[in-house]
Amino acid sequence: MIEVKDLSKDYIILKRKPGLSGAIRSLFIREKEIKQAVDHISFEIKPGEVVGYIGPNGAGKSTTIKMLCGILTPSHGEIRVNGVVPYQNRKQNAINIGAVYGQRTQLFWDIPVRESYELLRHIYEIPKNDFEARMKHFTEYLNLGPILDIPVRQLSLGQKMRCELAASFLHNPAVVFLDEPTIGLDVAVKENIRKFIREMNHLYGTTVILTTHDMEDIEQLCQRIIIIDNGSILYDGDLVAVKERFGHQRTIHFEMPQTDHFKLPASLESTVDVAEITESRVSLLFSSRDIKGAEVIAIMMAEYEVNDLTIKDTSIETIVKEIYERGI
Amino acid sequence: MVRYMKLYWHFFAAQVKVMTEYWVDFIIGFMSVFFIQFTSVYFIKVVFDHIDVLNGWTFYEILFIYGIASTGRSIHQIFFDNLWLVGRDYIRTGNFDRLLIRPLNPLFHLIADKVQQDGVGNLVLGTILLGISMNHLAFDWGFWDIVLLIVMVISSGLIYSGINLFFVTFSFWMVDSFPLMQTAFNVSQFARYPLTIYSKPIRIILTWVVPYGFTSFYPATLFTGHKNYTTLALITPAVAAIICVIAYGFWIIGLRAYTSTGN
Ligand SMILES: Nc1ncnc2c1ncn2[C@@H]1O[C@H](COP(=O)(O)OP(=O)(O)OP(=O)(O)O)[C@@H](O)[C@H]1O
Ligand SMILES: [Mg+2]
Repeated sequence: MIEVKDLSKDYIILKRKPGLSGAIRSLFIREKEIKQAVDHISFEIKPGEVVGYIGPNGAGKSTTIKMLCGILTPSHGEIRVNGVVPYQNRKQNAINIGAVYGQRTQLFWDIPVRESYELLRHIYEIPKNDFEARMKHFTEYLNLGPILDIPVRQLSLGQKMRCELAASFLHNPAVVFLDEPTIGLDVAVKENIRKFIREMNHLYGTTVILTTHDMEDIEQLCQRIIIIDNGSILYDGDLVAVKERFGHQRTIHFEMPQTDHFKLPASLESTVDVAEITESRVSLLFSSRDIKGAEVIAIMMAEYEVNDLTIKDTSIETIVKEIYERGI
Repeated sequence: MVRYMKLYWHFFAAQVKVMTEYWVDFIIGFMSVFFIQFTSVYFIKVVFDHIDVLNGWTFYEILFIYGIASTGRSIHQIFFDNLWLVGRDYIRTGNFDRLLIRPLNPLFHLIADKVQQDGVGNLVLGTILLGISMNHLAFDWGFWDIVLLIVMVISSGLIYSGINLFFVTFSFWMVDSFPLMQTAFNVSQFARYPLTIYSKPIRIILTWVVPYGFTSFYPATLFTGHKNYTTLALITPAVAAIICVIAYGFWIIGLRAYTSTGN
């Protein structure tokens, strides 16, 4: 369904010195900096797969997705989406894909949602019967009924995102790209959106590529993940394997009045790592297989004055860090 | 082509529906444009209260030129207004990407995205001005003359739009070329009056560099006593076509730059 071979994208950033003289100078001498956002990556995705495409900020996720959508031309390498080369055949590709960008809207700003969908029907030339059946289904599933007559600009983020999602599946595309579809949403809406994606995948066999910083999204939706960092793929494979390897990782942040003289208590030395020390905070990293969180907390409280603490499950960032340092 | 025309109709209808719901906005937009333009016309009238002829042009001839400019401009404003916002609302925000993931020509999508109701003010005023001045010109209006006039008005609208498109394309490299567009557009204000009142360099600029002279003055001379510009007047539609082709070519180059650099 999707074939990516040796794909790279370099951004050329023109450097400008500050001030007027800098602006004038830059007219003549252009200092270029090349940023390799995606660096020779390859992968293949089969029809019907739901793949989590994850990595820290600036890893190159959105850049890859833009290339798959035909928005950006690759600097190097090959792409095929449903047999089409996206940047060469943008319109043809557009029929096969749907896309949601968490940060911005695909819909028509000023006109009511219902009319937006009508326009999409004409744009994608969706047969009226199919359109109506899907609309009915989506409206029910995403609970769009009460918001269909409101212009997009008046919708809340959660309402908008549900509408966006429906819009991206409306023409029954073979592949849907979801770039942070759950960003900034509350738990209920996130849950609703995940359910919908699962349903679409089951019902129509839609291939889904999903980027997110929310581990929960990944766990509930994806069998496979691709981890990218600094433009390169660190891991491509089963989610289960990664979870077994890293899912037991815990981080506890201790807020403390004093961290200058902090030293890891001797009884924790064999099982716990110090992840970070700042002026007011100490973060400890450990595996729940080696030691219980409660035990770590008890030992810390006995030795140091602690104001507050938060416990974090494994985040994508720590997984990436771990893979970097220790390999998979 | 037929598909795009049908699609445009759907975009248009959806927006008109919204406008009828917000009809107060419509009236306010209409009135404000109408009165701004009306003030300019009134100023011309005041000038002509003191003199009969300006540089060889009568009041109604000047009104006629102004009328073509207004109707031509209204075509630009009603249908192509979104061009102004490419830098600010599309490229800087990254919304331009949305136009690229649809099975449509991105320029079509961009233009169809917005119908600017305020332009109706210009259209109504322009039509009124044309109606009044046509009756007072020493010209025998036949059916084909009206057709020719309409062709000229459409060409005028396309010239406005083509020049606008050309300058907005710089947005692909400089993020927002609004100041450039604004400057170019301000130049068009000169072209609402007979070019003969300007010095030669300005005339040359308005004819061969940013050819706003063709948006009203040259075509208008066909229907007045001033016969020395007939050739220039008759090539107006060709000028419009050339401008559009050049601007579109430039736009395509800009688009290619966008797809290689991102927003
Ligand atoms: N248009 C651009 N011009 C120059 N550099 C860019 C451009 N877009 C992205 N970059 C750079 O390319 C790198 C990858 O960016 P990208 O948006 O693909 O990251 P991402 O993985 O989507 O991150 P996030 O999780 O923050 O969304 C970053 O270093 C970013 O600064
Ligand atoms: Mg991103």
